[in-house]
Amino acid sequence: MGAAVAGWTVAAVLLQVAGLSLFLYGFFPVKPTLRGFSGAESYQVPSCGSVSAGEQEPTLPPDQLRSLYRELSGIPPVYDRLVLMVIDGLPAEFVLGRGRKPPSKEMMESMPYTQSLLAGCKAAAYHAKAAPPTVTMPRLKAMVSGAIGGFLDVAFNFNTQAFLEDNLLDQLHMIGLKLVMLGDETWIKLFPTLFTRQDGVSSFYVKDTVEVDFNVSRHLEFELAATDWSVLVLHYLGLDHVGHIGGRRSVLMTQKMKEMDDVIRRVHTASLQDNLDRTLLVVVSDHGMTEGGNHGGSSYEETDSLALFIGHSVESPYCSPYDQKEALQVDLAPTLALLLGVPIPKNNFGVVLPELLNSLTDDQKLRMLELNSWQILRLLQAQVPAFCLEDCINSEGSIVLDILHGSIEKKLCHLLSKAFSSHQSSCLHRGSDFKSVKSGYYGTAADNYYGFLRYASEWLSHRATDKPFYLLVSAILLMTVSCLFLMSTVSCLFKARSLSQVDHHSESYLDQRWHLDEVLVLAGMFLYVISLGSSSFVEEEQYTWHFLTSTLYLIFLTKAVQSMLKGSNPTLGHKAEEKSFDKSNFSYATSFELTPGKRNVYKLCTILIVLVAGRVIRAWHQGGINWVHFPDISKLLAQADSSVVKSLQIISVLAVVVLFSVSLTLLRARPKFVIGVWLTHISCGFLVLLHIWANQISTSLPINHSTASIARQFYVIASVSISVTVLASPWVFPMFSTEAESASSGSSPVKAIHGIRNSLFLTGITYTAFWGLLQLLLQQPINAIPLFLIFLQTVSSVVHFSLDKTLHKQWVQVVAIHFLGMAGHFGLGNTNSLASIDVAGAFIGISSYSTVLSGILMFMITYASPLMLYLGLVLHVSVKDIDDISALQQLKWSYILDKMVTLPCLFPLLINSLALTSYTIVLLLMRNHLFVWSVFSPK
Amino acid sequence: MRAEATQISALTAGAAHLLCFAGLAAAHGLAGRGALVSDPALALRLLVVCEAPIVIAVFSYLRRDAKSCSFFKAVARGLIGLPVGAFLNAFGAIVLGAPVGIKYWIATIYWSLVMSLFTFVPAACVFGASKIDWQNVLSHSIYFTPTDVENYMISAPCHGAVLGAWLGAWPMPLDWERPWQEWPICVTYGALAGYMVGMVVSLVLMTVHKRRVRAKAD
Ligand SMILES: [Zn+2]
Ligand SMILES: [Zn+2]
Repeated sequence: MGAAVAGWTVAAVLLQVAGLSLFLYGFFPVKPTLRGFSGAESYQVPSCGSVSAGEQEPTLPPDQLRSLYRELSGIPPVYDRLVLMVIDGLPAEFVLGRGRKPPSKEMMESMPYTQSLLAGCKAAAYHAKAAPPTVTMPRLKAMVSGAIGGFLDVAFNFNTQAFLEDNLLDQLHMIGLKLVMLGDETWIKLFPTLFTRQDGVSSFYVKDTVEVDFNVSRHLEFELAATDWSVLVLHYLGLDHVGHIGGRRSVLMTQKMKEMDDVIRRVHTASLQDNLDRTLLVVVSDHGMTEGGNHGGSSYEETDSLALFIGHSVESPYCSPYDQKEALQVDLAPTLALLLGVPIPKNNFGVVLPELLNSLTDDQKLRMLELNSWQILRLLQAQVPAFCLEDCINSEGSIVLDILHGSIEKKLCHLLSKAFSSHQSSCLHRGSDFKSVKSGYYGTAADNYYGFLRYASEWLSHRATDKPFYLLVSAILLMTVSCLFLMSTVSCLFKARSLSQVDHHSESYLDQRWHLDEVLVLAGMFLYVISLGSSSFVEEEQYTWHFLTSTLYLIFLTKAVQSMLKGSNPTLGHKAEEKSFDKSNFSYATSFELTPGKRNVYKLCTILIVLVAGRVIRAWHQGGINWVHFPDISKLLAQADSSVVKSLQIISVLAVVVLFSVSLTLLRARPKFVIGVWLTHISCGFLVLLHIWANQISTSLPINHSTASIARQFYVIASVSISVTVLASPWVFPMFSTEAESASSGSSPVKAIHGIRNSLFLTGITYTAFWGLLQLLLQQPINAIPLFLIFLQTVSSVVHFSLDKTLHKQWVQVVAIHFLGMAGHFGLGNTNSLASIDVAGAFIGISSYSTVLSGILMFMITYASPLMLYLGLVLHVSVKDIDDISALQQLKWSYILDKMVTLPCLFPLLINSLALTSYTIVLLLMRNHLFVWSVFSPK
Repeated sequence: MRAEATQISALTAGAAHLLCFAGLAAAHGLAGRGALVSDPALALRLLVVCEAPIVIAVFSYLRRDAKSCSFFKAVARGLIGLPVGAFLNAFGAIVLGAPVGIKYWIATIYWSLVMSLFTFVPAACVFGASKIDWQNVLSHSIYFTPTDVENYMISAPCHGAVLGAWLGAWPMPLDWERPWQEWPICVTYGALAGYMVGMVVSLVLMTVHKRRVRAKAD
């Protein structure tokens, strides 16, 4: 039976792991991105075969690089200066209208200058469709790099948010242009070293709609007068904040749009005064907003962002500004790159926008399209290694026949070769005197180029975001199967147990009816699984866990009160009470000879401690992702003097040591070995104190050698003492000695169990206490008190469960401990966002950077609380009810093992697998809505 | 059986519930529509003022040990029970995560008084210090085994109010940004709804139980 259970469990866990990895593989497609930056090679035809042209060109000084680019491209830069004005959250509908209709009169009047430019054909505007997630940082990345970032790039560089892929701004910087940035500090996070002058404003205070834009505009006069910069980035956040407060129809909206229009007017007039009209003004929005003013998803309202260009090259004699021209947000990158004379970023799949090239000659236009096509061809070659231009041209004749049922690659091949050949024939007719012939050839070549570019761009963007549906479904099926496996194992176990219980105690005190706490555990798990379907519950998961945990412990409280009332009633429960009291003669309570009244007081007190500690932990870190601005204790402490935090740290270290010492006194037998463990623990606590003190003295030095050596000493002492305890404790407590003869009737199993219990108790308490100290060393100083409280909760709930073993079934106890662990996990400030992972602690005591070591430390820091509670389960096992085994006369090791180990292992597994499975199902259902983005990507 | 002697009829119980409901309705009428959302402290205060005399009077009249205990003694028990029950309810709410900021104190106090009227005061008036009866209130055995009418009358609305308040707290972390998501508005709504459902359930249980007793007698 035991082997079968173990086998099933292992199989279920393996299935779960397999399903999860399959799901992750399907959900986060790792698209091959090209590393490095485009250089001079982007002005040459991509060669077949070797995708990564390994030859590293010597980096040229900026001026030479600039002239080299100009020479190679054959087109002089169209503009010298660029003003990129980002209006956060402005829907293109506000400026361009929707469905062939101009915007409403109110909207037209709120942007008079912009509308007059559009009507006068001095500006070109597009509905630039943004890709989800429609939140600021990924959208800015898309604009400057022309690529949709991978899902996991947030995870891969959690350490630094700096943007490392090839992008427009870095290219401009490389040819020696000076950049200035005013506005949202996201730009500074992305490009920390790029800007000559910068003034970042925070998007944190959403309620502020005035100051946030004033802080940008106050520099405008100076910057517009200055001549040193070539690129000016303005990022206005106010309109997004207006939306967040009052939605699209907010009364502040027209006012804000007037303000933006005024900025556009100021910048444009300044650029006109400037010498030769060599400035391009680009007004874009990073995303739109819903009717209620939010964004993040993929609805039309959210993805409808604006791209408006004002400059000499867009002017044309005839135009229809409200034609609702569609483009992609990524088209911005190649367009600006070509107009400013730098290579197109490597991973771009945008297409150069036609109206920006109005003032250019036909040849120049075709050359730009050609450069764009070469760049996209390089990207295609990275995705489809066999794809090759020469093959396409060579096999042209044979392909034409089967375009219709050819593969996508063949179609791309065909379009590409058609484009290049028509370009060649247009070049051949360059000398032709007939204008009509020339423009005719130009027209077909341009059409062919656009045909290829649009098709390739669409295909590439699909590849970047497509999720294989069947893969995801099969992964979820695997996980569901594993979940069912675990469930059936648990139910089998229960069936077996209830059978054996019927055998041995037919008058079992635990009646068969469902108890309130059991109902709550089941209903709570159900509600929790349901709540994962709502994004705000996922964002604020800490509320759910705290609520469930506190409710469970409140029910324990009422049960304790109830049993108290029952116990003091002489006629009813006396017999049962006496019986259970008699049976638990090995419990630690009896070692103190507690009277029933005192027992009851202890029972109530332990629960009250757990409840109050839980509430304090909850108040320590308020708010997960949505409500981070809520006041809480950790923010108060962050503002307070650092000595307060230090003293709290010291207090919690001392408290952990004291609590450990108190728990050790519960051991009845106290050999010298226990005292040894105690002493090492005290010395470890002393080391932690030293570490805190050393940090206090030298906060200025980034890497301090004395603190690192203290931390390393701690690691050594702690690991040695833990392993010695685990190995030695079975031999210290006598299992088969004659010494414990007097304890009971003297059968050897009883003594054996007694020995096992003592050693398990020592092991468990040592584990948890050392874990507590380790966490006090690693975690942020602010988390010291919550850590101690979690330790306290662990110990007191174990004590509570040992005081009255008949009150709660064992599986409820295990679940309660698991709940405590999860509540503590979120109580330490963790959220479901990757942004909340604490990186600083991962380098304590490590002299050189090591991914593995700091990864382990980071894992320990992040899962501090659940792991502490799992270690606490060892403690729990040692004090739990195995008296009915001692009632059996013959010794059955397998049965003891079964009773002691299986449940505590199986239940957390079951709950975790349930949570994971439901989480993945939610992800599958919502994969298009993608609220996930707002969870995974910082706003 | 002792129950036979002091057995109150289902009709009396129904009338008692009706009186309590009338108290709630009066408070609602006085406060006006939507007062709970716009000014929760005021609405809760009105609720306490209207409901407290009715609950204490009604349940003191229905006291269990009518012979040995006078009406006024029962009233005194109820008056003592009110703050004690309020304290217990406030403790439970805060432990479950109710905010403790200064601007919430008044509302929390009134809310816990209302909850005390729903849960603790009736039992205090009727049972006094009888431990076995208190234990019955805490347990959920009344739904499975027949007991006295008083037990139904007290336990079912009490359980209903607590359960309703618990369920009412679930929408609080949602980001709908509605005014009623504030503490203690939706919790109060949940408690009120649960209390009324509990009253109905207790009446149903009473009639079912009565029929069963009658069938046994036949
Ligand atoms: Zn934005
Ligand atoms: Zn926003």
